[in-house]
Amino acid sequence: MDARTIIESLTGKFPEIISETEIESEIRVRAHTDRAMAKEVCQYLKDSLQFGHLCSICGVDYPKRNEMEVVYHIASYDHPVVLTLKAVLSRDSPEIESVVPVYWNANWYERETYELYGIVFKNHPDLRPLLLPEEMLGEWPLRKDYEGFPNKTARNLV
Amino acid sequence: MGEIKSKKTSGTTGEDPIDAVPGVITTTSGAISNFLKKTKAQDLINWGRKNSLWFMTQPMGCCGVEMIAMGCAHYDTDRFGIIPRNSPRQADVMLISGYVTKKYLPALKRLWDQMPAPKWVLCLGDCSISGGPFYESYSTVQNIDEIFPIDVFVPGCPPRPEAMLQGFVELQEKIKAKKDLGTEY
Ligand code: SF4
Repeated sequence: MDARTIIESLTGKFPEIISETEIESEIRVRAHTDRAMAKEVCQYLKDSLQFGHLCSICGVDYPKRNEMEVVYHIASYDHPVVLTLKAVLSRDSPEIESVVPVYWNANWYERETYELYGIVFKNHPDLRPLLLPEEMLGEWPLRKDYEGFPNKTARNLV
Repeated sequence: MGEIKSKKTSGTTGEDPIDAVPGVITTTSGAISNFLKKTKAQDLINWGRKNSLWFMTQPMGCCGVEMIAMGCAHYDTDRFGIIPRNSPRQADVMLISGYVTKKYLPALKRLWDQMPAPKWVLCLGDCSISGGPFYESYSTVQNIDEIFPIDVFVPGCPPRPEAMLQGFVELQEKIKAKKDLGTEY
Protein backbone atom coordinates (compact mmCIF):
# COMPACT_ATOMS: atom_id res chain seq x y z
CA MET A 1 0.00 0.00 0.00
CA ASP A 2 1.53 3.34 -0.95
CA ALA A 3 0.85 6.91 0.08
CA ARG A 4 -1.52 7.72 -2.79
CA THR A 5 -3.78 4.72 -2.23
CA ILE A 6 -4.01 5.52 1.45
CA ILE A 7 -5.08 9.11 0.87
CA GLU A 8 -7.56 8.09 -1.83
CA SER A 9 -9.07 5.41 0.36
CA LEU A 10 -9.35 7.81 3.28
CA THR A 11 -11.00 10.61 1.31
CA GLY A 12 -13.23 8.11 -0.46
CA LYS A 13 -14.54 6.75 2.81
CA PHE A 14 -14.87 10.12 4.63
CA PRO A 15 -15.33 12.79 1.94
CA GLU A 16 -16.85 15.34 4.32
CA ILE A 17 -14.52 14.80 7.22
CA ILE A 18 -11.01 14.49 5.82
CA SER A 19 -9.55 17.71 4.44
CA GLU A 20 -6.24 19.32 3.56
CA THR A 21 -4.57 16.09 2.63
CA GLU A 22 -1.03 16.23 1.42
CA ILE A 23 1.51 13.66 0.28
CA GLU A 24 4.79 15.02 1.59
CA SER A 25 6.86 12.12 0.37
CA GLU A 26 6.47 8.44 -0.33
CA ILE A 27 6.38 7.62 3.33
CA ARG A 28 4.85 10.70 4.92
CA VAL A 29 1.25 11.81 4.44
CA ARG A 30 -0.80 14.40 6.27
CA ALA A 31 -4.52 14.90 6.76
CA HIS A 32 -6.92 17.00 8.81
CA THR A 33 -9.94 15.39 10.32
CA ASP A 34 -13.11 16.75 11.79
CA ARG A 35 -12.86 16.61 15.57
CA ALA A 36 -16.15 14.81 16.08
CA MET A 37 -15.10 11.86 13.94
CA ALA A 38 -11.47 11.38 15.00
CA LYS A 39 -12.18 8.08 16.67
CA GLU A 40 -14.04 6.66 13.68
CA VAL A 41 -11.24 7.71 11.34
CA CYS A 42 -8.72 5.96 13.59
CA GLN A 43 -10.89 2.86 13.65
CA TYR A 44 -11.00 2.80 9.85
CA LEU A 45 -7.24 3.36 9.62
CA LYS A 46 -6.62 0.45 11.94
CA ASP A 47 -9.12 -1.99 10.46
CA SER A 48 -8.79 -1.32 6.73
CA LEU A 49 -5.52 0.48 6.09
CA GLN A 50 -3.19 -1.57 8.34
CA PHE A 51 -2.27 1.40 10.54
CA GLY A 52 -1.68 -0.68 13.64
CA HIS A 53 0.75 1.49 15.55
CA LEU A 54 -0.01 4.81 17.22
CA CYS A 55 3.36 6.53 17.67
CA SER A 56 2.32 9.62 19.60
CA ILE A 57 -0.39 12.09 20.47
CA CYS A 58 0.50 15.68 21.17
CA GLY A 59 -1.08 19.09 21.31
CA VAL A 60 -0.32 22.39 19.62
CA ASP A 61 -1.49 25.76 20.87
CA TYR A 62 -2.36 28.61 18.49
CA PRO A 63 -3.44 31.54 20.67
CA LYS A 64 -3.70 34.00 17.74
CA ARG A 65 -6.14 31.79 15.88
CA ASN A 66 -7.82 30.85 19.16
CA GLU A 67 -7.39 27.23 18.23
CA MET A 68 -5.72 24.10 19.47
CA GLU A 69 -4.68 21.05 17.56
CA VAL A 70 -4.34 17.44 18.52
CA VAL A 71 -1.78 15.66 16.36
CA TYR A 72 -1.75 11.90 15.98
CA HIS A 73 1.21 10.15 14.38
CA ILE A 74 0.09 6.76 13.16
CA ALA A 75 2.35 4.19 11.52
CA SER A 76 2.06 0.66 10.33
CA TYR A 77 3.82 -2.66 10.71
CA ASP A 78 2.98 -3.68 7.14
CA HIS A 79 3.84 -0.67 4.98
CA PRO A 80 6.27 2.24 5.41
CA VAL A 81 3.79 5.13 5.38
CA VAL A 82 3.46 7.34 8.47
CA LEU A 83 0.29 9.41 8.72
CA THR A 84 0.08 12.72 10.56
CA LEU A 85 -3.54 13.20 11.50
CA LYS A 86 -4.63 16.54 12.90
CA ALA A 87 -7.83 17.65 14.57
CA VAL A 88 -8.54 21.33 15.21
CA LEU A 89 -10.31 22.26 18.46
CA SER A 90 -11.58 25.53 19.78
CA ARG A 91 -9.30 27.01 22.40
CA ASP A 92 -12.11 27.97 24.77
CA SER A 93 -13.33 24.44 25.32
CA PRO A 94 -10.85 21.96 23.85
CA GLU A 95 -12.59 18.60 23.82
CA ILE A 96 -12.19 15.53 21.67
CA GLU A 97 -13.25 11.91 21.78
CA SER A 98 -10.64 9.57 23.25
CA VAL A 99 -9.08 6.98 20.92
CA VAL A 100 -8.25 4.54 23.72
CA PRO A 101 -10.86 2.01 22.49
CA VAL A 102 -8.98 1.87 19.17
CA TYR A 103 -5.35 2.18 20.26
CA TRP A 104 -4.87 1.08 23.87
CA ASN A 105 -1.52 2.87 24.19
CA ALA A 106 -3.23 6.22 23.67
CA ASN A 107 -4.09 6.12 27.37
CA TRP A 108 -0.91 7.73 28.69
CA TYR A 109 -0.44 10.00 25.66
CA GLU A 110 -3.86 11.48 26.26
CA ARG A 111 -3.25 11.89 29.96
CA GLU A 112 -0.06 13.78 29.22
CA THR A 113 -1.67 15.98 26.58
CA TYR A 114 -4.42 16.69 29.07
CA GLU A 115 -2.12 17.79 31.90
CA LEU A 116 0.09 19.95 29.68
CA TYR A 117 -2.53 21.59 27.43
CA GLY A 118 -5.83 21.07 29.16
CA ILE A 119 -7.32 19.22 26.21
CA VAL A 120 -10.10 17.04 27.59
CA PHE A 121 -10.42 13.56 26.11
CA LYS A 122 -14.02 12.48 26.47
CA ASN A 123 -14.71 8.89 27.60
CA HIS A 124 -11.09 8.35 28.60
CA PRO A 125 -10.98 5.52 31.17
CA ASP A 126 -8.82 7.37 33.72
CA LEU A 127 -8.10 11.01 32.89
CA ARG A 128 -5.74 12.27 35.61
CA PRO A 129 -2.26 13.84 35.47
CA LEU A 130 0.55 11.52 34.45
CA LEU A 131 3.78 13.35 35.27
CA LEU A 132 2.84 16.63 36.92
CA PRO A 133 1.73 16.85 40.54
CA GLU A 134 -2.00 17.18 41.15
CA GLU A 135 -1.58 20.77 42.39
CA MET A 136 -0.38 21.92 38.98
CA LEU A 137 -3.56 20.78 37.28
CA GLY A 138 -5.19 23.78 35.68
CA GLU A 139 -1.96 25.65 34.96
CA TRP A 140 -1.50 23.95 31.54
CA PRO A 141 2.23 24.71 31.34
CA LEU A 142 2.75 24.07 27.62
CA ARG A 143 0.18 26.61 26.52
CA LYS A 144 1.79 29.66 24.97
CA ASP A 145 0.31 32.07 27.49
CA TYR A 146 1.66 30.18 30.52
CA GLU A 147 3.26 32.62 32.95
CA GLY A 148 4.41 30.50 35.85
CA PHE A 149 8.09 30.11 34.94
CA PRO A 150 10.44 30.75 37.84
CA ASN A 151 12.58 33.84 37.45
CA LYS A 152 14.52 33.78 40.71
CA THR A 153 17.39 31.41 40.36
CA ALA A 154 21.08 31.10 41.11
CA ARG A 155 20.59 33.63 43.87
CA ASN A 156 23.06 31.89 46.13
CA LEU A 157 25.82 31.98 43.56
CA VAL A 158 25.98 35.66 42.63
CA MET B 1 13.81 21.43 76.57
CA GLY B 2 17.26 20.53 77.56
CA GLU B 3 17.73 21.62 81.15
CA ILE B 4 18.75 19.27 83.88
CA LYS B 5 16.25 18.83 86.64
CA SER B 6 17.46 17.50 89.92
CA LYS B 7 15.28 16.89 92.91
CA LYS B 8 16.21 16.71 96.52
CA THR B 9 14.93 13.91 98.70
CA SER B 10 13.00 16.02 101.12
CA GLY B 11 10.45 18.71 100.58
CA THR B 12 8.89 17.46 97.32
CA THR B 13 5.18 17.81 96.84
CA GLY B 14 5.19 14.77 94.59
CA GLU B 15 3.18 15.78 91.53
CA ASP B 16 5.15 13.52 89.20
CA PRO B 17 6.00 9.98 90.31
CA ILE B 18 9.44 10.10 88.69
CA ASP B 19 10.26 13.36 90.39
CA ALA B 20 9.36 11.79 93.66
CA VAL B 21 12.04 9.09 93.45
CA PRO B 22 14.84 10.20 95.73
CA GLY B 23 18.22 11.02 94.19
CA VAL B 24 17.13 10.59 90.55
CA ILE B 25 18.23 13.15 87.98
CA THR B 26 15.98 13.34 84.91
CA THR B 27 17.25 14.89 81.75
CA THR B 28 16.77 14.94 78.02
CA SER B 29 19.23 13.85 75.36
CA GLY B 30 19.57 17.48 74.30
CA ALA B 31 21.05 18.37 77.63
CA ILE B 32 23.66 15.65 77.37
CA SER B 33 24.75 16.66 73.90
CA ASN B 34 24.74 20.34 74.87
CA PHE B 35 27.00 19.49 77.74
CA LEU B 36 29.27 17.36 75.59
CA LYS B 37 29.70 20.15 73.07
CA LYS B 38 31.59 22.16 75.64
CA THR B 39 34.08 19.38 76.29
CA LYS B 40 36.87 17.69 74.40
CA ALA B 41 34.66 14.64 74.00
CA GLN B 42 32.94 16.37 71.09
CA ASP B 43 36.19 16.29 69.14
CA LEU B 44 36.30 12.56 69.54
CA ILE B 45 32.66 12.20 68.53
CA ASN B 46 33.19 14.36 65.46
CA TRP B 47 36.24 12.33 64.53
CA GLY B 48 34.08 9.24 64.58
CA ARG B 49 31.28 10.88 62.67
CA LYS B 50 33.42 12.31 59.94
CA ASN B 51 34.99 8.95 59.27
CA SER B 52 31.74 7.08 58.84
CA LEU B 53 29.65 9.23 56.51
CA TRP B 54 27.22 6.71 55.10
CA PHE B 55 25.23 8.14 52.25
CA MET B 56 21.84 7.22 50.94
CA THR B 57 21.76 5.76 47.42
CA GLN B 58 18.96 7.79 46.02
CA PRO B 59 19.79 8.86 42.49
CA MET B 60 17.49 11.54 41.12
CA GLY B 61 18.90 12.67 37.81
CA CYS B 62 21.80 11.97 35.51
CA CYS B 63 24.12 13.02 38.37
CA GLY B 64 22.86 9.98 40.20
CA VAL B 65 24.72 7.78 37.77
CA GLU B 66 27.98 9.49 38.70
CA MET B 67 27.04 9.13 42.33
CA ILE B 68 26.71 5.37 41.90
CA ALA B 69 30.03 5.29 40.06
CA MET B 70 31.55 7.11 43.00
CA GLY B 71 30.30 4.48 45.40
CA CYS B 72 31.65 1.60 43.32
CA ALA B 73 35.10 0.04 43.43
CA HIS B 74 36.84 2.25 40.91
CA TYR B 75 36.67 5.43 42.96
CA ASP B 76 36.35 3.50 46.19
CA THR B 77 34.73 5.75 48.74
CA ASP B 78 35.23 3.07 51.35
CA ARG B 79 38.72 4.31 52.07
CA PHE B 80 37.16 7.44 53.58
CA GLY B 81 34.55 5.44 55.47
CA ILE B 82 31.87 6.57 53.02
CA ILE B 83 29.57 3.66 52.32
CA PRO B 84 26.37 3.62 50.26
CA ARG B 85 23.28 2.57 52.17
CA ASN B 86 19.92 1.68 50.74
CA SER B 87 17.80 2.78 53.66
CA PRO B 88 17.41 6.35 54.89
CA ARG B 89 17.33 5.02 58.44
CA GLN B 90 20.92 3.84 58.16
CA ALA B 91 22.25 6.91 56.37
CA ASP B 92 24.02 10.03 57.60
CA VAL B 93 24.29 11.96 54.35
CA MET B 94 21.67 12.74 51.77
CA LEU B 95 22.93 13.58 48.31
CA ILE B 96 20.63 15.73 46.22
CA SER B 97 21.86 14.35 42.94
CA GLY B 98 19.94 16.02 40.20
CA TYR B 99 16.85 18.04 39.45
CA VAL B 100 14.21 18.19 42.17
CA THR B 101 10.84 18.24 40.49
CA LYS B 102 7.77 19.61 42.17
CA LYS B 103 6.31 16.15 42.19
CA TYR B 104 9.36 14.58 43.81
CA LEU B 105 9.91 17.18 46.53
CA PRO B 106 7.40 15.69 49.03
CA ALA B 107 9.05 12.28 48.72
CA LEU B 108 12.50 13.82 49.20
CA LYS B 109 11.34 15.66 52.32
CA ARG B 110 9.96 12.44 53.65
CA LEU B 111 13.25 10.60 53.10
CA TRP B 112 15.03 13.44 54.88
CA ASP B 113 12.67 13.18 57.83
CA GLN B 114 13.31 9.46 58.08
CA MET B 115 17.05 9.92 58.50
CA PRO B 116 18.24 9.98 62.10
CA ALA B 117 20.21 13.03 63.27
CA PRO B 118 22.97 14.08 62.92
CA LYS B 119 22.52 14.26 59.17
CA TRP B 120 24.08 16.25 56.38
CA VAL B 121 23.08 17.22 52.85
CA LEU B 122 25.31 17.55 49.82
CA CYS B 123 24.14 19.26 46.65
CA LEU B 124 25.52 17.59 43.54
CA GLY B 125 25.26 19.16 40.14
CA ASP B 126 23.99 22.41 38.70
CA CYS B 127 20.41 21.22 38.71
CA SER B 128 20.13 20.90 42.43
CA ILE B 129 22.11 24.09 43.08
CA SER B 130 20.23 26.47 40.83
CA GLY B 131 18.16 24.54 38.32
CA GLY B 132 20.98 24.02 35.86
CA PRO B 133 19.76 23.27 32.35
CA PHE B 134 16.22 23.26 33.72
CA TYR B 135 16.51 26.64 35.41
CA GLU B 136 13.42 28.04 33.74
CA SER B 137 11.32 24.92 33.80
CA TYR B 138 7.76 24.89 35.01
CA SER B 139 8.26 21.69 36.97
CA THR B 140 11.56 22.02 38.87
CA VAL B 141 12.13 23.48 42.30
CA GLN B 142 14.64 26.35 42.44
CA ASN B 143 16.88 27.30 45.36
CA ILE B 144 16.83 24.04 47.21
CA ASP B 145 18.94 25.57 49.97
CA GLU B 146 15.82 27.21 51.37
CA ILE B 147 14.43 23.77 52.09
CA PHE B 148 17.40 21.72 53.30
CA PRO B 149 20.45 22.82 55.34
CA ILE B 150 23.09 22.23 52.69
CA ASP B 151 26.71 21.97 53.74
CA VAL B 152 28.59 21.52 50.48
CA PHE B 153 27.73 22.41 46.89
CA VAL B 154 29.51 20.44 44.19
CA PRO B 155 28.98 22.17 40.82
CA GLY B 156 29.29 20.47 37.47
CA CYS B 157 27.00 18.90 34.96
CA PRO B 158 27.55 16.24 36.12
CA PRO B 159 30.44 16.65 38.56
CA ARG B 160 33.05 13.98 38.16
CA PRO B 161 33.20 11.33 40.86
CA GLU B 162 36.49 12.82 42.03
CA ALA B 163 34.73 16.15 42.52
CA MET B 164 32.03 14.46 44.55
CA LEU B 165 34.71 12.80 46.68
CA GLN B 166 36.26 16.22 47.15
CA GLY B 167 32.88 17.42 48.35
CA PHE B 168 32.83 14.68 50.93
CA VAL B 169 36.33 15.59 52.07
CA GLU B 170 35.20 19.21 52.45
CA LEU B 171 32.29 18.01 54.54
CA GLN B 172 34.67 16.05 56.74
CA GLU B 173 36.74 19.18 57.21
CA LYS B 174 33.64 21.13 58.17
CA ILE B 175 32.59 18.51 60.69
CA LYS B 176 36.08 18.50 62.16
CA ALA B 177 36.04 22.27 62.45
CA LYS B 178 32.50 22.18 63.92
CA LYS B 179 31.30 24.53 61.17
CA ASP B 180 28.75 22.20 59.61
CA LEU B 181 25.01 22.74 59.63
CA GLY B 182 24.02 19.10 59.89
CA THR B 183 25.07 18.37 63.47
CA GLU B 184 22.80 21.06 64.80
CA TYR B 185 19.89 19.92 62.74
S1 SF4 C 1 23.43 18.83 36.71
FE1 SF4 C 1 23.56 17.97 34.65
S2 SF4 C 1 24.14 15.82 34.97
FE2 SF4 C 1 23.35 16.61 36.91
S3 SF4 C 1 21.16 16.09 36.94
FE3 SF4 C 1 21.38 18.16 36.11
S4 SF4 C 1 21.45 17.87 33.88
FE4 SF4 C 1 21.89 15.89 34.83
